[in-house]
Amino acid sequence: MPVDDSPVSILRAEPERINPAIILADRLMRRDAEELLTVAEVAEAENVLAIGNEEIEAIECHRKAFLKTPASAIDYIPVGF
Amino acid sequence: MTGLAVVGKDQEYRPYFGDRLVRSLDYLRFKARSHNAVFACETVSRVVSEQHKYRLYIELFPDQWKQSKKSLYKAGHFKAYSERTNEFYQLVNDNCFPLLEYWHDDPDLELERFAIPPMNFDLCCEEVDFAGLRDSYLAGLIFYFSEDDEIWKFFSEKYGVEKKDLPSIKTSPHTSVWGEKQNAKTKPYSDLIRLVDHSTGNPWLDVTHCQYPEFFDWNKETVDWLTETYKAANESFRNLDELDKRIEENPQKFFSELISFWNTGKEVGWRD
Repeated sequence: MPVDDSPVSILRAEPERINPAIILADRLMRRDAEELLTVAEVAEAENVLAIGNEEIEAIECHRKAFLKTPASAIDYIPVGF
Repeated sequence: MTGLAVVGKDQEYRPYFGDRLVRSLDYLRFKARSHNAVFACETVSRVVSEQHKYRLYIELFPDQWKQSKKSLYKAGHFKAYSERTNEFYQLVNDNCFPLLEYWHDDPDLELERFAIPPMNFDLCCEEVDFAGLRDSYLAGLIFYFSEDDEIWKFFSEKYGVEKKDLPSIKTSPHTSVWGEKQNAKTKPYSDLIRLVDHSTGNPWLDVTHCQYPEFFDWNKETVDWLTETYKAANESFRNLDELDKRIEENPQKFFSELISFWNTGKEVGWRD
């Protein structure tokens, strides 16, 4: 749960994972096209697509929130500076 | 990981080397962008969509599927789809109904849903070319272009029929004109008025170029329904033959009966 409603906190609260559509796309691309998908596999693909698109939209929301956030000074020097 | 090894394992499906190469290149293109979630979603959608078309191909044309040598990977005329899917579109076009005409002539088009071309004549926004119409169809237009002297001039010159010698035409038809129950005499008149009015219930005859096209999904029920209605639409035009004969046999009688049917919904007796 975010400790506050700042864009950074909200982003940190997001689950850390690879978009499931990327994993499914890789699986489908390795598959022989002549081997038709079953009804269950199509249903799974549609479910993954819904989740994948939701995640893309969530990231887009975070990006927009960051763009709107004014710059502020930090209290430490990042490594390398 | 290039995907070539995966392709190399494929011992059963080996149409030709070029196809395997296309598949490998396709996989490499995918791998180069595979961590882009948007691209991955597009890939999943594309694969599922193409698989759906293959399933429908097998369901509708099982023999052609077995014999097909078209690539499952190489893009065909419609670039968004494989040669095999393009072959499916061609089979639908050749065996079921006109799919690849009118709306669908752009190779960049995505055919996830499709529209059908109107078979009937548009009466809404274009000047009607009366000379190109069947006599019986033109007769049906007297109710919609009642003030158009060109139609009456045509029938006067060809058949000697004068508007003044016929019953006056009511502005709207009797409700019975649209009734499902018609006898052998009135059914052709009812069918003619429905056809001219674009009220047949048949999508091929009721859509016009002036309206936003209805889009259809790819499934067996829809393809079967459009195939049947396409045949019925052609049959409707063949049915005009009988009406053309009636005009030639006795034009005065034909117009009197047709106008009476429009006005009263009934066949009004005619004495020769």
